[in-house]
Amino acid sequence: MTETISSKVLIEWIGILVIFSIISAIGNVIGYHYPFMESLVGMLILCGISLAGLIIETYTPWDIPSILYISILGLLLALPISPVSDFIIYYTTRVELISLTTVLLAYAGISMGKDLGDFKKVGVKGVVVTFFVIFGTYVGSALIAQFVLMYTGMI
Amino acid sequence: MDIKNKYTPDTEDLIKSVKDYKLHFTILFAVIISEYIGIITLDFMGISIVLMPLLYSLILAVAFYLAKPVYWIKEKQSERSSAIMMLLIGPLLAKLAIASGQNIEIIFNAGPAILLQEVGNLGTIFAALPIALLLGFKRESIGMTSSICREPQMAVVIDKYGFTSPETRGFFTVFLIGTVLGTPFISLLVSILAYVLPLHPFAFGMACGIGSASMNAAAVASLSTIFPQYATQMEAFSGMANLIAMVTGMYVYIFVAMPLTEGLYKRLEPPINALLKRKKAKKESC
Repeated sequence: MTETISSKVLIEWIGILVIFSIISAIGNVIGYHYPFMESLVGMLILCGISLAGLIIETYTPWDIPSILYISILGLLLALPISPVSDFIIYYTTRVELISLTTVLLAYAGISMGKDLGDFKKVGVKGVVVTFFVIFGTYVGSALIAQFVLMYTGMI
Repeated sequence: MDIKNKYTPDTEDLIKSVKDYKLHFTILFAVIISEYIGIITLDFMGISIVLMPLLYSLILAVAFYLAKPVYWIKEKQSERSSAIMMLLIGPLLAKLAIASGQNIEIIFNAGPAILLQEVGNLGTIFAALPIALLLGFKRESIGMTSSICREPQMAVVIDKYGFTSPETRGFFTVFLIGTVLGTPFISLLVSILAYVLPLHPFAFGMACGIGSASMNAAAVASLSTIFPQYATQMEAFSGMANLIAMVTGMYVYIFVAMPLTEGLYKRLEPPINALLKRKKAKKESC
């Protein structure tokens, strides 16, 4: 489905991503002692890639979610043959991966607020099943990875 | 589809949320405190449990929502935060993708393992379906346990079972809990498993790529605290595994995971149901 992004939406996307960049950069200074400006540039690169992914999703006819465009774009830009890879890698390593989840989960906590009633309804049972879903997915993958890594002689 | 709107950024909410500076300052405050506390490693009976700043920021944010003095964080902010969250997944994925692109050589060497470990994602069915049935869930359990319940599977489950079906309801239960609690949970889980299971850090790293960016990041960060010497490789492997999980997720779900869950459900449901009934009867008779 092709549609056009109104300039209003585009400005809001950029607004949120800039706010996210600033908060994350401050988090990186406090938690990991990276220079603020370098972290901020790193964040703006990551947000630029996201924005590109969102725009590509809107203007391409097929039904592929933006998360795939973002992943592939990030991967290509960082490949050793990419002319901008050194620049991108230098600045994005000034952003700790985990610092982004700290900000994300702060928003998640606030957004959880309105769903607290739903959580109570689902109750402990739903939480237990969810934990087993994650546990099963993770352990299943780890066991197969170990087996194949040993078989192919990588470890 | 109105439920999809609930979980994709609502333009109205987004437009208002940029200007909601009180919300962003509150988030900044939570982040500063959380990052200041930093990573804490607790020793518990020989197992090191890694506590991540994301855990504190989640708890602080919930506390701010509930605290009466913080009157500027209300239901409206809660809705805006949901819209914002969806947008913030992008930079996280970009960061993971860059780690993969940068280390493409070691990824090629580990290619077979990264591809095949995706099959392990089906482990959820065997681990969680019996538990769900024992807890008394019926058809809901199929939606709940057939996948990690992220975006790639969402459309499929609605399409196949219908919007108001128990399967879809089950799916959204796990989706919702996983979105918020899944991330802190997996960060604790991997730090415990790293001590309990004698597997190589590479295997632990790859397994983190389960198709959810935030869970991936949290799990890798915990592992990096425990095995700092392998941090780069683990981040690269997990980023690639996550990308593959997202690309293949929908197809594996349709052609493998769903039939497998249905089959196992047919085998397990009658005996477990009988067991639960007997237990109930016993309880009533005494």
